[in-house]
Amino acid sequence: MGTAYLRLVQLVTGVLVAVLLSIHIVLTHLDAIFGFFGVDVAEPTAWASMIERASQGVFVGLYVALLACGLYHAIYGLRNIILEVTPSIKTGRIVTWALIVIGVVVFIWGTYVPVALFTS
Amino acid sequence: MRQRQPRQNYLGPGGWVWGGSYKIERYLYLLHRITGLGLILFVIIHLVMTTIFRIQGQDVWEATMVFLSNPWFKFGEYLVVVAFIYHALNGLRLTLQELGFGLGRPTPPIYPFTDALRRKRPWTITMIAVIVILSLVILVEFVAGGW
Repeated sequence: MGTAYLRLVQLVTGVLVAVLLSIHIVLTHLDAIFGFFGVDVAEPTAWASMIERASQGVFVGLYVALLACGLYHAIYGLRNIILEVTPSIKTGRIVTWALIVIGVVVFIWGTYVPVALFTS
Repeated sequence: MRQRQPRQNYLGPGGWVWGGSYKIERYLYLLHRITGLGLILFVIIHLVMTTIFRIQGQDVWEATMVFLSNPWFKFGEYLVVVAFIYHALNGLRLTLQELGFGLGRPTPPIYPFTDALRRKRPWTITMIAVIVILSLVILVEFVAGGW
């Protein structure tokens, strides 16, 4: 895939992360503001509350989608920064492959945990 | 004829920080990069908490949450949310402008004319205003939540 398409995916994942992460933050961290408007939300970091979310397919889907989009966006952005100072194309390639491996490993591990909790 | 050497303009990492006499948008770009790196650091910590610690069961999870209820971590969390708001809105502005939205029709540069940067400036000011407002709303959330 050409650089232009990789960059287009960077823009698209950026928008997706903005939407998904906003949902994630509003649902799991704005309990005080919800409380002010009379919506009672259980403390989101409590074990019972967390397990309840982990048992809902919607949340598992949200986490996996957020992880996939976030990882791509983060790793591509980090690669852009690093490749500005790498001395040669060969070093740049090593950086690219190292980041791809890190991304794949983190994605597999980050997906395994919510899926394992969902199915347990 | 003597060949003139091109000016050495490779600044290395120093060029990340110093934008010379460029305008505010150049420094917003620098902040975009800094907040991006900060968010990556947070994601690493967040993933360790929500995977390695969470899968070890209720006791480890609750001990982790007690550890994270420290005011310094709460302040760090606030900075992360503000960094996200900034990174998201600035990124949205950059994406829309890169795709040509909200810039008006192109006009020939006949004197006196407004340059592209100044035509985009209202978007920048609006974006900063929205970031400040959202940051204050989140501050209320953190203060009301007892830090």
